[in-house]
Amino acid sequence: MGYVAVTAGEELIERAEQLFEKQRIDDDADDIGVDQIEGQLGRLTAQAMSEGGLYAPRLAALAVKQAQGDTVEAAFLLRAYRSTLERFDETTTVDPGEMIATRRVSPAFKDIPGGQILGATKDYTQRLLDFDLADGSPEDPTAEWELDDEGDPERLTNVTELLREEGLLHEPDEPAVDEPNDTTRESITHPPERDEVLQELARGETGAVTALGYSALRGYGQVHPTLAEVRVGRLPVRIEHPYTGAEVTVTHTEVTESEAVVPVYEKREDPQFAFGYGLTFGRNERKAIGMTILDASIQLDGDDEPAENAEFVLDTVDGTDSFGFIEHLKLPHYVTFQSILDRIRAIRERKGLSEQSRVETDERPADSAVAGTSDDD
Amino acid sequence: MNDLPTQRSRERVTMTEHTTTDDVLPDEGTPVATDSVDAALESLDSDGLEGYNYAYLDEHTKREVRRSVLKAVAIPGHQVPYASRPMPLARGWGTGGIQASLSILGPEDTFKVIDQGADESINAANIRRLAENTADVPTTTDTTEADLIQSRHRIPEEVLTDEQRLVLQVPITDALRTVDPSDAANRRRHAHKNYGKMWVHLYENVVEYGEIKISSRYPTMVAGRYLMDPSPIPRWDVPKLDHADHLTVLAAGREARLYAVPPHTEVEPLAFDDRQFTVERFPEQACHACGSTDTYLVEVSEEATEDGDNAFETRYACNDASFCAKRRKNPDLPKDHHLEEAVDWGPGTPDAPTDDAGTPVEQGGAGE
Repeated sequence: MGYVAVTAGEELIERAEQLFEKQRIDDDADDIGVDQIEGQLGRLTAQAMSEGGLYAPRLAALAVKQAQGDTVEAAFLLRAYRSTLERFDETTTVDPGEMIATRRVSPAFKDIPGGQILGATKDYTQRLLDFDLADGSPEDPTAEWELDDEGDPERLTNVTELLREEGLLHEPDEPAVDEPNDTTRESITHPPERDEVLQELARGETGAVTALGYSALRGYGQVHPTLAEVRVGRLPVRIEHPYTGAEVTVTHTEVTESEAVVPVYEKREDPQFAFGYGLTFGRNERKAIGMTILDASIQLDGDDEPAENAEFVLDTVDGTDSFGFIEHLKLPHYVTFQSILDRIRAIRERKGLSEQSRVETDERPADSAVAGTSDDD
Repeated sequence: MNDLPTQRSRERVTMTEHTTTDDVLPDEGTPVATDSVDAALESLDSDGLEGYNYAYLDEHTKREVRRSVLKAVAIPGHQVPYASRPMPLARGWGTGGIQASLSILGPEDTFKVIDQGADESINAANIRRLAENTADVPTTTDTTEADLIQSRHRIPEEVLTDEQRLVLQVPITDALRTVDPSDAANRRRHAHKNYGKMWVHLYENVVEYGEIKISSRYPTMVAGRYLMDPSPIPRWDVPKLDHADHLTVLAAGREARLYAVPPHTEVEPLAFDDRQFTVERFPEQACHACGSTDTYLVEVSEEATEDGDNAFETRYACNDASFCAKRRKNPDLPKDHHLEEAVDWGPGTPDAPTDDAGTPVEQGGAGE
C-alpha cells in the first residue's frame, strides 16, 4: 500500500505521542511538579482555566504540564474533560460587590468607596531581566513587613453603581428570557443574546480577546472606554442546599473583573454612558479589559467595525475552535486539492494558458466564454 | 415535489435509536459515589477510559444528537443546531462526525472510518480507535461490510445500500458562506429560499473564467428546497447522493450544526443550461496500481522518466484505497458487485455518460 502518502495505524500514533512525551524529560533536569506549576505559574493555569471554562487549579496545572506549556492545548484538555462531567447543580447569582479583593484600581475616580488597592502587580516595575532568579534561592521579600490586623475586608461598592444611581449609565434592555442559556449545552444561533456573548468572551482565547479589543481602541471602532474599575479577588460559589434550601458557600474562585463606561450617547435627549463588562477566571487583567471593550463594542451593534460585529467576534475569539481549524490544515487534503487542480487546469486551458493541455483544445467547440455547453471531453 | 423522507427512511432512523432511550436514567454518565465527599473524589480518581460512559458521550448528549439527526432527516438539507460537545479530538478534525457516529453506533454495528479516501490515514486511525475503545464496536476497512461509515470528504466508490449509513465530516456548514460570511444573513436567505447571491456568484465565475471554479463543497439543492454544502467531497461524489438508498448525515463539530440527506432524496448541484455541472476529469489516466479508469484518481507521485533528470511523469492512483485493493485482485469488479441489480452511482456507473474511451465525462444535475 505504498501509494498513500501517510499510511499509519495506531503504532505510529503511539510512537509520535511517545516522542512528544520524551521531549519533556529529554534534559536531566528535575520533573516539574504539578504543585510547582499551580503555585509558581499561576498565570498559565489561570489562562487555561479561563479559556477552558472550568475552575480547577490543580487539573489546570496538570493540563499545562501535559501540554508542555501550550495554554490553548491545556484549555482544550480541560474542556474535553469538562464535557464528560455530570452537571450537578447551578450556583446562585453572586454579587461582585462581595468580592474579597486583593487588587482594585479605579482609573475613573481618585477616591472611591473602599479605596484603591494596588495589590500585587508588576505594572510599575522596570522590565529588566532579573538574573538573580536564574539560580537564586527563594526569599520572601515581604518577611520584614509589619502587618496590623485591619479586621474584615470592607464591602466594595462597584464604581459603576455610583454612576448608575446618578442615571448616567445606559441600562441594557431587559432580556426576553431571564435564564441564561448555557452555550456549552445549547449552541448559539446568530444574532446572539448578551448572556451568550459574555459567556463566549469569558471563555475566549486571551490573545484573541486582547487583539480584537485592541482593534477597537486602535481606531477600528468607536469604543475608547474609561475603566470604572479593575479588580482581582475571590468570589464565593454558592448553591442552594438540597434539603434546607438555604444558600451554602461551597468554595471560592479567583476572578478578574473589569467594568468600563464609554462616552457613546445613544439618546440625544438623554445622554448616557454605554457600558462594558468583563469577567474571567483567575488573574488575567488584559483579557478582562479586552472583554470589557468587546462587550461595549458589540452592544453598539455596528456593521463596519470588526469588534462591533457580534458574529465576527464570537466566530473568531474561541481558542479551541481556531486552534483546531487552523491546525487541521496539516491533515491530508489530497481529494480536495485534486479537485482544485482540475478547476485551475480547466480555466487555464479555456484561456489558452496551458502548455500541455490535458484536454485536446481542438475538440472543444470554438465558442465564447458564455455560449458554450459543457467544456468536458 | 419535495422528497420528504419515505416511510422506509424514517424506520431506518428510528432503528438507529437502539440505545434504549426510555431506560436512560437521568444520572447516567460518569458514576460518582455519593456517600461522602472523599468517596466522591476517590471515585473520580481513575484515569484511562474506564471512567467514561459507553461511546464516550453521556446518554443525554447522545439522545440530543439523535434528536437533531431526526430533525435533520425530517427537513432534508436544513442545518440543525446541536450542542456540540468538546471532544478529545481537536475541532476541525472530525469532532462533529465522531459525535454523530458515537450517538448512532451500537455494539452490533460494524464501523468504518476513512479520511480523504484512506482507511489507513493517521486521523482515520485515531477516530477509529476512539470508537473501538469507547463504543466497543468491530471495525472494518471493507465498505460493503460496514453498517456505519464515517468519512472525511469522500463517498466510497462502492455503492452504499439501504442497510448502511454514511456520516460525513463537515468543516463549513453553509454553501452561502462563500458569498456572505454572516450566518444571521444566510439563515434569512435559507428561510426565504433566496439563493440569488449564489446564482450571481456562479454566473460571475462563468463570465470571468469561462468555468464555474468551485472545486469541492459544490452548492447543491436538496429536495428542491434547501441549498446545502455537501462538505468538501469532490464534485465526483455529489451525484451519488441523488436518490441514494443510504442515509447521509453531515455533522460539523466546530460549527455545531447537523444536516442530512435522507434516502431517496433529490440532490441537484446548481448549474446553468449552458454550463452544466461537471465532475473532475482524468483524461487518459488510470490508477497505476489497479488500472481503474472509472474511479476518482489523485496524483500521487512524480516519477523520473527515462528522458533525463528533469523530466517527470505524474502517476495517478485510486483515492478509495479499500476499493483499489479489491480492483487489484479483480480488475473488472463493478462498483455494484455486491448488489443484485445495477445501480446508478455517479461517474463510471450504468447511467453516467462516458466518452469513447470509457472515461466519464459529465454528470448532469439530478432529476433531469
